[in-house]
Formats: sequence, C-alpha cells, structure tokens
Amino acid sequence: MPRVAKTKVEVEGRTEERYSIVEESRLPAWPETTNIVGRSVRRIEGPEKVAGRAQYASDIRLPGLLSARVLRSPHPHAQIRQIDASRAQHLPGVHTVVTWENVPHIEWDKGNVLLEREVSFHGDEVAIVVTESDEIAQDALRLIDVTYDPLPFVVDAVSALDRNAPAVRHGRSNWVDEPLITTRGDISTGFAVGAVSIEATFRTQAAVHNCVEPHATVAWWQSGSAGSGDAQLVVYESTQGIFSARDDLARAMGLPLNRVHVITQHMGGGFGAKQSAGKQAFLAAVLSRAVGQPVRLVLDREGENLAGGYRGETVQDVRVSATADGRLTAIRASITTGVGAYHAGTMEVDGPYRTLYACPNVETTLQGAHTNIGPAAPFRAPGYVEGTFGIERAMDEIADQLGIDPLELRRRNDAPVDPDTGQRYSARHLDDCYRIGGEVIGWDQRHRLPEEPGIRRGIGMASVIWSGGGGPPAFALVKINPDGCVEVVTGAQDIGTGVRTALAQVAAEELGVPLEHVSVALGDTAAGFTAPGSVGSMTLSSVGPAVRVAAADARGQLLEIVAELLDVAPTELTIRNGDIVSTTSGRRVPVSGLAGQLGDFLIIGRGARGPNRSDVRVRSFGAQFAQVAVDLVTGRVLVERFVSVHDVGRIINPMTAESQVFGGVIQGIGYALMERQVRDGPTGRVLNPNLDEYKVPSALDIPEIIVRFIGQPDPAANDLGAKGLGEPPIIGVAAAVANAVAGATGVRIRELPMTPRVVLDALRGASSAGRRGEEDRDATI
Amino acid sequence: MRPFDYAAPATMTEATQLLRDVAAAPLGGGTDLLPLMKDGLVEPSRLVDLRRLPGLESIEPVAGGLRLGALVTLDRIESDDAIRTGFRLLAEAASAASSPQLRNMGTLGGNLCQRPRCWYFRGGYRCFRAGGDACYAVGGENEYLAILGGDPCYIVHPSDVGPALIALDAQIALQGPDGRRFVQAEDFFVGVKESLTRETVLEPGEIVTHVELPAQPSGARGTYLKAMDRGAWSFALAAVAAQLALDGGIVRDARIVLGGVAPTPWRCPAAEQALVGATLSGTTAALAAARAVEGAQPMSRNAYKVDLARGLVERALARLMPDRGSG
Repeated sequence: MPRVAKTKVEVEGRTEERYSIVEESRLPAWPETTNIVGRSVRRIEGPEKVAGRAQYASDIRLPGLLSARVLRSPHPHAQIRQIDASRAQHLPGVHTVVTWENVPHIEWDKGNVLLEREVSFHGDEVAIVVTESDEIAQDALRLIDVTYDPLPFVVDAVSALDRNAPAVRHGRSNWVDEPLITTRGDISTGFAVGAVSIEATFRTQAAVHNCVEPHATVAWWQSGSAGSGDAQLVVYESTQGIFSARDDLARAMGLPLNRVHVITQHMGGGFGAKQSAGKQAFLAAVLSRAVGQPVRLVLDREGENLAGGYRGETVQDVRVSATADGRLTAIRASITTGVGAYHAGTMEVDGPYRTLYACPNVETTLQGAHTNIGPAAPFRAPGYVEGTFGIERAMDEIADQLGIDPLELRRRNDAPVDPDTGQRYSARHLDDCYRIGGEVIGWDQRHRLPEEPGIRRGIGMASVIWSGGGGPPAFALVKINPDGCVEVVTGAQDIGTGVRTALAQVAAEELGVPLEHVSVALGDTAAGFTAPGSVGSMTLSSVGPAVRVAAADARGQLLEIVAELLDVAPTELTIRNGDIVSTTSGRRVPVSGLAGQLGDFLIIGRGARGPNRSDVRVRSFGAQFAQVAVDLVTGRVLVERFVSVHDVGRIINPMTAESQVFGGVIQGIGYALMERQVRDGPTGRVLNPNLDEYKVPSALDIPEIIVRFIGQPDPAANDLGAKGLGEPPIIGVAAAVANAVAGATGVRIRELPMTPRVVLDALRGASSAGRRGEEDRDATI
Repeated sequence: MRPFDYAAPATMTEATQLLRDVAAAPLGGGTDLLPLMKDGLVEPSRLVDLRRLPGLESIEPVAGGLRLGALVTLDRIESDDAIRTGFRLLAEAASAASSPQLRNMGTLGGNLCQRPRCWYFRGGYRCFRAGGDACYAVGGENEYLAILGGDPCYIVHPSDVGPALIALDAQIALQGPDGRRFVQAEDFFVGVKESLTRETVLEPGEIVTHVELPAQPSGARGTYLKAMDRGAWSFALAAVAAQLALDGGIVRDARIVLGGVAPTPWRCPAAEQALVGATLSGTTAALAAARAVEGAQPMSRNAYKVDLARGLVERALARLMPDRGSG
C-alpha cells in the first residue's frame, strides 16, 4: 500500500530528504546467475533507428503544421527602442509575429515571461514568426526592423560579482543567492598541521551540450467546443523529463495535468540541457493557441549554441595541505561559476572537494554569478566534472611535491565512509577500480613509455564519485497478454542510453520469459506513470525496480491462475523461458498456450520503486586513466589510450553500458582538449555559435577506450542492485588527461581546455623559467 | 538565404558574360560560398555554376609539369598518382584540408578563393574585412589570427593549397570578361596593404580556370605540415609548405611558405636564403626556422603561433633531410 515517507532523493549529485509517496517492496535479490539481466543484448529500438523510422520531435508532421523561428538579439544587453514587424506580417505565408509587445503573458520559468523589452544576452529571443514553411520563416525574420538601445553588460563571471559591475538584468542582483559555504573540521588547524601545501587557481571553460538533436517542439493546442474550458495541449518534445515538461506546461498554460500530453519517443541527446520543457515548448504552445494550428519550433545550431544551455565556466581558488606522508589535512576551495542571464541553478562544483577524500578539515565556498550570456544548464555530472578537475589536479600537485605515487596518495586518503556525513556506503569498491585500472593502463610502466623526438608521453588518473542510486516515486505496469507476450508500461523516457532495452531485460528476467516476448512503452505522459526525469543517472535505478516489482506481481498472479487450472499449489510452479513448469511433476505449459483455456484475459502487475534506506549512503565510484602524447612542437595533446573502471553495482546490459562509457569518455576528451564557448569580452558576443568553430572531437581524436566494470550488485541501493552509469564516465576524464599532460611535460596544467595555445604557452612559460621544454624541441631535428 | 537566380553556362564566353554582373558569383563545389550565403555575408543575385564548363576538371601533363583544372576536387588532388609522385607537397596539402566529405566537393579554385575564417568577419561584425572601420581581434579573441603582415586587419588566409602552390612555383590562369591572364601563385593573393576587403587579385567577373605546376628541379622534394586543434576538419593554427631541391646534402633551391599565420600565404625569403647553398642539417634548419618567423608581431593571445610556426619549419626540414628518405 502506498504511504508517505521521508526518503532520500538524489538529483544530479545533490541529496535531499523529501516526502514522497512510496510503496514498500520486499523482493529477494536475484540469484547469483541471471539469464537475461547481465547479458549483452542489442537495443530493442535499434532497427527502428537504423532504418530511419524512429520519430524524433522534429520529425512529427501534423495536419496544418506551421513553422516557427526565432529572431535573436545581436546585443549582449539592450533595451528594444522600437520594433516594427509589419513588413514581416504582410509576407505571404506568415500567420503571426510575436514580440514583447504582443506575446501572451505567461510565466514560463520562475518570474520570467516569454519575451521582454530588455534583452539580456547575445541570442536572447526578440521575436517569433509563425509561418507556412521554414523558408518563409527565415525570410520573415529579415523583415522585422528592430532598434536597440545598447546597455552596459558583463560576460565574465568573476567581474560580474564586482560591486561596480553593470546589472545583467535591470534591477536584479548579479549574485545568485548568497555564497554557499560548507565546512567540516577547522580549516586553519588543518593548514597549520600540514607539512606541504599547494595554492592554485583552476579554470574551466563554458562548454555547450551540442546534442545531435537540438531543442525541438511540435505543440498542438486543441481548443474544445466550449472555448478553452476543455482545451488540451499535445506536445511532442525532445525532453529528458516528460512529466516535468507536462507539469511546467500545465502550470504556465493554466491547464489541469490531464489535459497536457507530452510525448518523447526518441531523443538525440539531452545531457542535462533538456530537463523539462524547453523555452521553445512554451513559445510553441502559446503560438499554437494563438493561430489555432499545430506549431513546430526547432532551434537551429546557432540557437542551440546561444540559448540552449552550457556547462558554466568556473574559477576555483584552491588550497590543499598534507602531512609529509601525504595525508590530507586541509582542503579549501572558493569557487565562482557563471550561470548566464536568467534563472539557472548553481551546480555542485564543491561536491568532489568534500566527498572524494578523507580530509578532516574542508571549507568550500560556491557562488553563482549572472552574466550577459544565455542561461547555463546542467551538463552530464554538473559540477562534478569541473570540481574533479580542480581537486584531482591539486592531488597530483601534492603528490609531485612529496614525491609520492599519485595513485598511492589517493589510497592513503581513501574515504571508506562518506567524509561529509560519516555515514557508511551501501557498497564501495573504489580500491578495485584503482587496482584494475592501474593494471590495464600499465601504471607501473608510466615512466617507461616509448619515446620519440618532440613527443612526450605520460599517464594520469582521476577518481570518480557520483550518486545514481535512484529513488521514488516511479511506477510501472507489466501486462501479460493471452498469447504470452508482455508489455512493460512506464513513464520514463529513453534519453538515448538504451533504458528501453534494460527495462525489458529486467521484466524478462523476473518473469522468466524470453526477451523477444517483451515490449516497453515509455515516453508518453498519457499512457505511462510518474517517473523521474532522465537526470542524475537515475532512470534505471528508479524505474527498473518498479518494473521488477510489477513483473513479480504479474508473475505471482499468473502462477496462481495456472495453479488453479492444474490444481496444484502456486509454490510448485515456476516460469522458465516462457513455459510454466511444475517443479514437482515437470509438467510444462507454455504461457502462450493459456489463451486456449482461458480465452481473453489480461494479467496486470503493478509496481512501485521502494523507498531508499536512510542508514546508508548510496554512491557509485570509479577510476579513470589516460595515456597521452604531447607534441612539443604543435602543442597538441593526443589521448592514446583510455581506461575507465566503474563500480556502479550490477550491470544490466554490458553492451549498452560500455556504450555509455564510450560516449562519456569522448565527451570528456572534447571538454579536456578543445570544446569551449568563446565569449568576446569587449563586445559581449559569442564568437563560435556553430560546429565549425565550436570544436567537438573528430574520430581521429578518440583513442582506444577500455572499459571495465566491477559488476558487484549493490543490494542496499535498490531491488536491482544497479546504479546509474550515464554521468560517471565523463567525470574524471579532463582531470586524468590533465594529470597525464602534467606527467608528460613537467608543466602544471590548471586551465581547460588544453588547446595547443594553452599547452605551448605553458611549455614556453616553463622553459623560460628554466624547466624542461626548450631543449626537447631542439632535439626534434 | 536571399533568393537568387541560377545559371549553368556551357561555354566560357557565356560564363564570363554572366559574371560581368557584379552581383553574380561563380559556384564551384559551394563549400564556402553556400555557408557565406546562408550567413548573409554575401548575397549574390545570381550563381553562375561553373561545373558544366569543359576542361576545368582535368589533370593533364604539360612540359614536365601538370595542368590542373580549377574544378578538380581536393579529393582528386590528394589521390592523383601524378600529383603524388611529382608534387607530393600539393597532395599532402590537399589531404590536410577539411574533411573527406568536404574534399569530395571542394575544388582547387574554390580553395584558393575562399574567404577568411576570422570569427569577427564571419560573425557579422562591421570590421575592416566587412567594409567597416575597425579590427575587433586586436583587443579580443585573436588566438587564431595573424602574427605576420596583419596591421590593420589580422585575418589569416585559410587555404592549405595556396602555400603549397607558391612553394611549387605554380602559375594560376585567370579568365575574365577582358580575356585571359596568368599570375604567379605568389602574386595571386593580396595583403592587407593592397586591399582590406578582398584576398586575391581577381577582378570583378574574373575566375580561376587552371593551375599550372612547372617541372621541379632535380632533387626536388617537399612536404606540407599543418598544426590543428583537433585531428581533422580544422583550419591551420599554422602550416608550412616546404619545397627543396637537394644535391647530395646541399640545398640548391628552397621555397618555404607558411600558412595560417598571415593574411596571405606567407613566403619566407630569409629562411630560403639561409638554406640555399648550405648543407641541410639541424643547425641550418633551426636557423631557417628562426628566420621564417622574423618580424612576427603576436597579439595578446597568439604568441604561441611564433613557436609553433618555427617548430613546424624545423620539423618539415628535418623530414626533407636525405637520410629520412622522404621525397
């Protein structure tokens, strides 16, 4: 029975205690050997995608569908003096043009209306045209005449916090709340007892998600016969959270939840930038209501880069002290991060400083800054990627000072319990990650790598901590049809990780039926049940247990029915490979054969995600190792080998799990070496809002990636014993690569991305300071 | 994109007639022109597609050299046997450009005529290059921009093929409404002192029709090295086209041209003089490399290019040393 309980809810690495409706589940752990769970199986939606049949939001075609496009501000901050859309209005094929003067008033996001007279970043929305075709829309945008009065602006996060900085938005503070200060122990004592210390500023860049599929919406406002009283809104949206999207759209549009229907069947990536309905969904919804036809609004690549979100840039002022034998005595980190002009959360950059190592004295300060840049958004392990770069570079600098093996330094500061709370972990195999990763990369051989003229090689590593244990609320149905086929119904969405397939495996395993007999329905708020967004690596660990409980329920019902038919006790029956088998007589009845005896029937199993335990901390762990070659002439860093070891509990589908790691490592290499949103200080504009100048890795930049999983189930985490894997694979990549570069060249790298300029400047600085570098280049000839 | 007319003339006369209209633009592979049009940076009223013109897609031997039509794709240059054996430098330069897909479409002529990639110019700034009166790079994000020959506009010429053609002493055949002319590859590109708004000597209505590669002296060998910020599909941070004629270990002739560092492909006469008559060694290579970047005036964020260009010249010369077996 459902009850209200306080349970730990984890969102993107931050744990909160919240009331939640939960249902207890007491399933026994799966036996040591499972049949379908743990097997590498191909994605069940794979053929659809490969054949081009899979429909993404922008593929949806509805009768009367119109195209909308956005006119964006060329200024980082300006007041619109005058806007004249009459020429655009008169263009044949144009249905409507909205500007701040006539846009319907809705509060789409915490105190923000859709279009304002004050535009606050390069790319801010100025006007939207709704037209018969995308081509007409592009023509119409050019016919809108806007006169701007430019206003003072600030695009640098640290400068934005200055007392004299111009206001990013009129009448509002550039400070995002108060600084978040977290302390443990006594930091000054910690510094006093340390024998060595390093003090450094680490800088990380703004990096854009640049999903293959941009933000996209097809919205259809269907007004009812009695005006808007029984209107409903159907939205095809590229979103990681169909229920968040539904709730936010319903609130903004003044509709009850059952009259907003959000559908996301497939996604070409979200990575955190699509946690609810995007701003374009609210625009499409009000425009559809205004014109009485469905409206399609898809961001182009420029819009995606200017207004689609990014990982906020950080400046991390760090001081770390340790004893002569390498025990950490104090960690202090003061972090500033840019979040852009509008509402955006400050990501938990301080997390890794507090939780990665056992250090008695820690003080972190985290401050978000508004800037005249588009809004930041969570991006795959938000905060942790940035913070791990800082703390893990600092650890290597300490190791360097003390002459201790960096891996040994980490072992000496191992945190067997959560250093933040003192709670024990549900499961933790970090040392195995270190050991396996070290063996595979050849850690002990790191000073004996092959040499070439002009090339330096090195190996570096970084530790990984993340959450991903999932939590309630999440619900599922498992239906067994008369022909024996099984439908799993959930309210999750498949962000692209392959969770469809994993949920089918969970149901097939629990039911004892072949995987081919199972289909999964998800991505539809009208058909499915509340489930968390695909955020925080928690879809599988939240929805998977609900599916398992529902499958167990369906299985129990089925066996009771068959037991009556066969006149045996249900406990004598089991299901193996689609057959109901009597364990006493050996008699077999195929599930698909029941229709003959029972006629039409439907068995409906129901399941909910149980509460999280309050006595343990659920975390996943990992260790990542990179081998790099640094070209001393060109400054190019080539990652030659990468080893990623993860302790994320049970692995449901090794093949798709490995794919997750490939993707995370590749995205991490892009972040480490080349990806960077370039903002022009003097003019406040983004200079590279495209995939020509915003560099993502090419195939030639990607090394061999070796993936290892510990694979030990974590039964205290949830009924699957599985934790999420979406985010962990990116967390330590930049840190590991930077540590490898530092190891290879002897220069300290404190800035991302490590472009040729950064590397050559560092080498030149180092060589003029009498360090290694110059003689190497002479030696290349 | 603004509406435009499209014409695909079958004869050169017809094409040059159509191109007399200053608002017409010649279309080859379209890999630069179409993006420029989509971004509203050029708005031709008519595209004159050159791809039906006869003879512009051929590679023919002429007097020990080769004659390449302007519509030969970069992909063909990269894979053509005659180019690979006789003019390896050019094949290497073509293969360093862009991505396989773009090399399948991009042409020799188009590669020489492409517009600069400076993100202020491409980003719609009213800069010198766009007919305005400022350079935004000087106080801004100039990491990718010029260290040589810049003032007052600091674009770098993006072509990989251009430096290679200058190093090979190629001639470029041009056809305009008033007839045909030849220019040395080196003279094809114009610096910022001559013009702030165009990068070549092409007059209105004039197009590149051919490139002639002369026979190379005996003992000739060359190489093209390009530094990028990722493994492929990037313009040069710096590049070098080096063509030497060696007699034993003695350099008889040398042509060193840098790419990615100046508004034109940047020939380095001082470096060449340091090599000619000398024995090719680590010492002469280092000297020549230092000479190659003499006079460099980096801005706030591109000082790294000085080291980079110098290092690339040294590396290229090292590759051309006889015992390295390059050719």
